[in-house]
Amino acid sequence: MNSIDPVGLANTVLGGALLGGLIALSAVGLSLVLGVMKLVNLMHGQIVVLGAYVAFYLAAFWGISPLLALPIVFVLGFAFTAPVQRFILAPVAKHGEEAGLLTTFALAIILENLFIRFFSGDSRSLDTAFSRETLAIGPINLPTIYLIGFAISLTVCLAVWMLVTRTSFGRSLRASSEDPISAAIVGIHVSRVRWGTFALNGGLASMGGVLIALCFSFTPSSGSEYLLTAFAIIVLGGLGNIMGTFVGGIALGVIQSLGAYFMGDGYRTFVGLVMLIILLAIAPNGILKRRRSL
Amino acid sequence: MKNGISILLSRIATPTRVGPRDFIVVAVLAAVAFAVPYFAGTYQQEVGFRILQLGALAAAWNIAAGYTGLVSLGSAAFFGIGVYTMAIASNAGLPIALCVLLAAVMAGLFALIVSPALFRLRGLYFTVGTLALAEAMRIFVVNSPWFGGQAGIFLTARAPKAYDLYWIALLIAVFVVVCVLLLLRSRWSYRMQAVRDDEDVASQLGVRTYRTKLWAFGLSGALIAIVGSIQALNQGIVQPNGGFGMSWTIDIVSVAIIGGMGTKVGPWVGAVFIVLLGEFLIQFPEIHLAVVGVVLVLVIRFMPNGIWGTLTLALQKNRNFS
Repeated sequence: MNSIDPVGLANTVLGGALLGGLIALSAVGLSLVLGVMKLVNLMHGQIVVLGAYVAFYLAAFWGISPLLALPIVFVLGFAFTAPVQRFILAPVAKHGEEAGLLTTFALAIILENLFIRFFSGDSRSLDTAFSRETLAIGPINLPTIYLIGFAISLTVCLAVWMLVTRTSFGRSLRASSEDPISAAIVGIHVSRVRWGTFALNGGLASMGGVLIALCFSFTPSSGSEYLLTAFAIIVLGGLGNIMGTFVGGIALGVIQSLGAYFMGDGYRTFVGLVMLIILLAIAPNGILKRRRSL
Repeated sequence: MKNGISILLSRIATPTRVGPRDFIVVAVLAAVAFAVPYFAGTYQQEVGFRILQLGALAAAWNIAAGYTGLVSLGSAAFFGIGVYTMAIASNAGLPIALCVLLAAVMAGLFALIVSPALFRLRGLYFTVGTLALAEAMRIFVVNSPWFGGQAGIFLTARAPKAYDLYWIALLIAVFVVVCVLLLLRSRWSYRMQAVRDDEDVASQLGVRTYRTKLWAFGLSGALIAIVGSIQALNQGIVQPNGGFGMSWTIDIVSVAIIGGMGTKVGPWVGAVFIVLLGEFLIQFPEIHLAVVGVVLVLVIRFMPNGIWGTLTLALQKNRNFS
């Protein structure tokens, strides 16, 4: 790649932005969990993969289109993660934050190996009627699926933002994340809020997994990559800031696509990881000090 | 940054007195282990190799995670550096002992290079940073033109025999144990434990926290890389997903936590447990890892001090009451 072709570059940037916005859906919940539960959820990536598999099997057995399956995937993701929080994570919370972190690490190991056992190690992908279609805007060609995924992700992120800022559950959630003890004193059922947040994250992450699987193939071991991508997005967007996460996703998508464009496709994830480490290093206060505006 | 595991552990870990008795115990055990190849078959030697390997890895990880509070999920990066250094250096014709030394030096340098970024992160963020670092290293080695890509590098050195490997692993295990014991006798261990229990207070009491963390992280990484360099000899071929694979991190973390973080003996107990469990479930590799995960969840919940930590606490209680 000696000379830079402006159309190709514009294509890359726009495609990357759409893709990033789409991937942001898988990151929104991670940020909520980090804010409310002070938990780095290392099984996040595996929940994303689980969502992709659920959509894959719904399509394979009942012919349900992945996009129509999104609500089902949300409900299943919610139902699967709610007991995990209630029966596995909540009891270890008293041992400190590291115990929760390592427990989610163990759960990630369990899930990943169950996926390999039951779904085989093969690489899978989701297909829809318009998976191979592109939309031409002047000289720029964008995959239709990116646009659809972007729109869905934006809609859901807006809905989550409304939930957090405009409802009583959202008020409890913000209070519990700000100061759990005071929240409990004024009568907020903090453990129920945590439970709801974790399960909400489960639903959102599995929907995010469906969107990602519409664009890329996935394997049982894709989880750690999804986790780190989601983490890079929430660090970029500011912790606990929902629309910030969406913007962070777009930013990461552009950065990754540029990295892939200039260095080769294998470096797509690498660029994101290096950026995550650098960001963590240069702006640790930006993420350690939690933002007040949820 | 306070955290529960450390608070629980500091009860046992802080008064670790290391006396001549410990060294005698190590010497006796090493002598017994040395004799194993004379009466055991190849299979037992391979199992022994695996126990020594995992024990040494977990004991090395424990220096950073158990005593200094630097819970790293980036061990695969150091392991991979050891693996690749051995492959490249031994193919260049350097003697094996020098390659092992070089692996340790490279890992130490790597720790030095990444420390300015990583040590700005505390607690959970440090852990995520190390995880990202290890994945970044793996992807870099896959894609860069210098390390043979996915196909990896073949070692031209002759593969050592099973008993040779076993003895090399034993030598390294003893070296790691002696390092840990000497470290626990030194003042460094007090500084490390102070940093673990509360970094800000330690800093105000005059502990140079950055330097303390760097020594612990670098020593831990260098020892992990030494074990990694032997793994390259064992395999005869090095590949990014084998050398820098998450599976090493998973093994190390589960061994150390199941055995007991921040204890001298824990990593070795954990290694015996995990390796024997693996042999028991050898027919079902995925189920094996899932079972390890379940054990890990149960240990964190019901025995946060691990097998050895729980036993020690129970014995101490008995002694106090009887």
